[in-house]
Amino acid sequence: MTTLPRLRLCLAGALALGTALPAAAQDNEIVWARYGDIDTLDPHRATSTLSLQVWSLIYDTLMATDESGAPVPNLATSYEVSEDGTEYTFTLAEGVTCHDGTPLDAQDVKYTVDRAFDDAEPSVTQSSWGPVTSAEVIDPLTVKLTLGSPFVALIPFLADSFSSIICDSNAEAEGFGSSVAIGSGPWKLESWTRGDRISLAAFDDYVNHGKLSANPGRPYMDRLTIVTVPEAQARLAGLRTGEIHVAEPPLDDVSALQSGDEIDIVVAENTGQNVFWEFANRAPFDDVRLRQAVAHATDVDTALMLIYGDLSIPEQCPISRGVFGNDQEFCAQHRPQYDPERARELLAEAGYGPSNPLETNLLVWTGGKRDRLAEVFQAQLAEVGINAQIEMMDIGTMNARVRQENEREDGKASMDMMTWSWYDPDILYALWHTPGAYRGFTSPELDAMLEKTRVTSGDARDAAVRDVMAYLLENAIHVPLYTPGWEWVFAIRSEVEGFKVAPFVYPIFSDVRIGD
Amino acid sequence: MMARYLIRRLLMGVTTIFVTTIAVTLLIHLVPGDPVQIMYAQSQGTTPEQLEAIRDRLGLNDPLPLQYLSFLGRLLEGDLGQTIRGQQPVLELLLERLPNTLALAGAAMVLAVAIGLPIGFLAAYRRGSWVDSTLMIAAIAGVSVPHFWLGLVLMFVFAVNLGWLPVAGTGPANLILPAITLGLSNAAIVARMTRSSMIDVMSQDFVRTAHAKGLPKAMILNAHVMRAGLVPIVTMMGLQFTYMMGGAIVVENIFAWNGIGRLAIDAIFQRDYPLIQGFILVFATTVVIVSLLIDLAYALLDPRIRRSA
Amino acid sequence: MTAFAPSDAPRRTRSFWWRVLMQPAGAIACAIIVLLLAAAGLADLLAPHDPTRMAAGRPLTPPSLAYPMGTDELGRDVLSRIMYGARLTLRIGAIAVGISLVLGLTVGLLAAYLRGWLEALLMRSVDVLFSFTETLIALAFVAVLGPSLTNAMIAVGVAGIPFYARTAYASALSERSKPWFEGAVAAGAGPGRLLFLHLLPNVMPTMIVVATLGLSNAILAAAALSFLGLGAQPPQPEWGFMLSAGRDFFSRAPWLMLFPGLAIALTVLAFNLAGDALREAMDPRSLLREDAR
Repeated sequence: MTTLPRLRLCLAGALALGTALPAAAQDNEIVWARYGDIDTLDPHRATSTLSLQVWSLIYDTLMATDESGAPVPNLATSYEVSEDGTEYTFTLAEGVTCHDGTPLDAQDVKYTVDRAFDDAEPSVTQSSWGPVTSAEVIDPLTVKLTLGSPFVALIPFLADSFSSIICDSNAEAEGFGSSVAIGSGPWKLESWTRGDRISLAAFDDYVNHGKLSANPGRPYMDRLTIVTVPEAQARLAGLRTGEIHVAEPPLDDVSALQSGDEIDIVVAENTGQNVFWEFANRAPFDDVRLRQAVAHATDVDTALMLIYGDLSIPEQCPISRGVFGNDQEFCAQHRPQYDPERARELLAEAGYGPSNPLETNLLVWTGGKRDRLAEVFQAQLAEVGINAQIEMMDIGTMNARVRQENEREDGKASMDMMTWSWYDPDILYALWHTPGAYRGFTSPELDAMLEKTRVTSGDARDAAVRDVMAYLLENAIHVPLYTPGWEWVFAIRSEVEGFKVAPFVYPIFSDVRIGD
Repeated sequence: MMARYLIRRLLMGVTTIFVTTIAVTLLIHLVPGDPVQIMYAQSQGTTPEQLEAIRDRLGLNDPLPLQYLSFLGRLLEGDLGQTIRGQQPVLELLLERLPNTLALAGAAMVLAVAIGLPIGFLAAYRRGSWVDSTLMIAAIAGVSVPHFWLGLVLMFVFAVNLGWLPVAGTGPANLILPAITLGLSNAAIVARMTRSSMIDVMSQDFVRTAHAKGLPKAMILNAHVMRAGLVPIVTMMGLQFTYMMGGAIVVENIFAWNGIGRLAIDAIFQRDYPLIQGFILVFATTVVIVSLLIDLAYALLDPRIRRSA
Repeated sequence: MTAFAPSDAPRRTRSFWWRVLMQPAGAIACAIIVLLLAAAGLADLLAPHDPTRMAAGRPLTPPSLAYPMGTDELGRDVLSRIMYGARLTLRIGAIAVGISLVLGLTVGLLAAYLRGWLEALLMRSVDVLFSFTETLIALAFVAVLGPSLTNAMIAVGVAGIPFYARTAYASALSERSKPWFEGAVAAGAGPGRLLFLHLLPNVMPTMIVVATLGLSNAILAAAALSFLGLGAQPPQPEWGFMLSAGRDFFSRAPWLMLFPGLAIALTVLAFNLAGDALREAMDPRSLLREDAR
């Protein structure tokens, strides 16, 4: 038996090495549990909602949004646009401080923009700056952005966390993005244990210039801890015991929770999230009849009811509620509606029938019960004679795969349940203007229509957006299904007061207090 | 003599790691689609020229042997590149979490031995009796229960329903359930191994002699058999530990234990090839080192190896 | 169950299968396997419902006479899904083990037959692969091929090759050293004859036991991959995948986790018992003891 005690000793050592005691919820700390972790603290290196939500707490933005999703001044107290629409001059708020104590000024804005367009390592979200070509410091509180072409969506773009202003002191800091994140938002980073937790502390010098919270300054709570708990039932258990204050609940338990009084449910509105069918731009789906057939075969109401109850609603437009240009009635007139008979007719016209079913892949992003929803849609498609083979994958993988499918010359038909969230109709330009984010469907007339949405404003832009939507819907290029679609339901313990979710699913913790 | 045995094992270990480095370099070329495209898949702003420049910078346009050499060069500097998702340093990410996986595998191993060894002894001692049959049927049933099922049930009952254990985090209290899950299924294997090893030893000559000399059965077991019987069991520990490491990958994902297994499964979903490469390399290296250490212990313990080999 | 028969016990006096069945382990295993085969083979006739038909019953109906294992959240009959799942599970096991067995045998036999540097090369490669562990090899394969049930089968099959190769090699080596082999060589038998007529048949019994035990291993491993989402895709009624999908409903519909888990456990148990019984019946003191696994 001589080896065993030695073995135990060595294992005990390993145990002590690998485990730090998790801090139990302390006084004046709020714990938010999510199914996954951020990818990075660097706003130029990821696109996930999980990451964006955390950036919005640490960093600030030039613009912010009001409750309806419209842009309002934030770090930029005002701006002027040149006659030709290619120069935007922003006046910055005075006395904004970065988490390291340095003042936030025009230099920080310039640093952020230059970094996003750095050719060696361009931001993965550089398009969230639109066609910006340069940033120029006029004086410490004035900065000018020059654009290659007029771009009306710049202002709403600047309200999103993709365009977070990064303090230039990050340049010298070792480990920016993984252990360092110097911003000027309400919460400053204390530590990030990747895969496990992010510890944030209230930033004492924070002044709220436009973010959607009643609190004018420092958050009421001292600490905000964001933990990763993948299992939905475990998050719920943590909520019940008080280990967790805010979390996405298991969606199937929401109605039961709503009827109890221990836990409240907050459903985010104006999320901008749009879930839609799109099709690989080659045979057989280059035939508009087949795309329309899929749209006619899909019974969104029934599927949503079965899977999400009333937590998600059908969406008629390619850009969802809360985004400029959305109009349910208008879109419903142009979108092919549920009509299985019509679907069968169209399939028959295109040469498909019960003996010769249309075979297609159906790519779906994992999580959020989308696998179940896809199974229901699959059954609906089977009803009219479309055999869809579901493939579940991560969203990043899916993005790459969709593009591959579009670039292929032939092969099995491919369609996907795509998910996009954006705060401006300009997303349609990104998706469907040549060459297209996924190298999918494009056409000269659609290009022309999309270009119009970038240079017009007000009613003229509204009309231009409608033209685009009508085209996309009638040709069943972008077949909207529902909204919202991911990470939009929050369960909070009833003693948590002041929690709210800003448009585009940004939870706000500045107003939160824990009562009795 | 012993030195020669150990040198042979060491060479074997080095070869394994060497082969792994080649395998992971090939891996990135076997997959459809290239990493840069996945990296920028969600970005609409990047131009083909920018992507090509990034590909160049990452060396993905170099001939394969050159890529391999530069991979080795960077590896020697402790650089395994950056993840596709979020561009975090791969090696740092893995080393940060490796202790958690070792802790889980280690704790499970302690449990498996603590439960399996006595059961195996008992079964061997009462060989052929109903005790033996019952224990061994229990053991075979134990091997058959999927640990992902056992783990879920344990978690739902003790953490979710009863609320006895925390649901979030990676601390000692969170280690209890995953260690039990992994330990129990392996305890069954240890028990079966121990039993067969002990029976082997008991049928050897020196035991028969001791028996013939009239020594009581219990005493023979203690004095002679235990030591001799332990030798093959200790050898199996190396293999057991690698099983535990493998099992930990699944178990970590059930309990959200923050180890390299959870990281790896996420990486596979996200097609994060630099991270997958790093994981394979770190996992293989860990297994090799642990096996070497166990071999060393074995060599010290077993006089036969010290003499011959 | 595994009462150790003394090595001098009368061997092969009664029919082999009789000896397998006479052990409690063999009998239990046989019963479960017959049940499984029936469920899989006759699913089309016996399953009360279409396994993918939604709203066969009300969603989340508890087990009852009409739905003996209840329904899932889409109203599909769980019993029917388990039955069709048996088909998938057996196919997964057969294909994965088939890959391991064929390739493992080839490598092991060739190494034992060829000797010399080829033997060293083959077996050292096997050693290297072996030290990667099966889990790592399977994961690496899935990472390259992408998640799907077919790829999971291949991954599990490939991961098993080193073990099968080692066992086949050891067994062939011991056969090779027996006098009859020398005799065959002396009689001028060619390589093909030696390999296929002399070595292979003598190695096969051992490999059959390994493959039977291997079935349980392969089924468990593939179910684990599907559980993690790296195997079966919806709506395939694969047990590991069903179990994983059922966990969201643990408190409201525990049967969604209970039955798939039970099905996996019983199947794995059956093949474990069967392997043990075969081993006992063949040769209780073979090189196939537990510690060889």
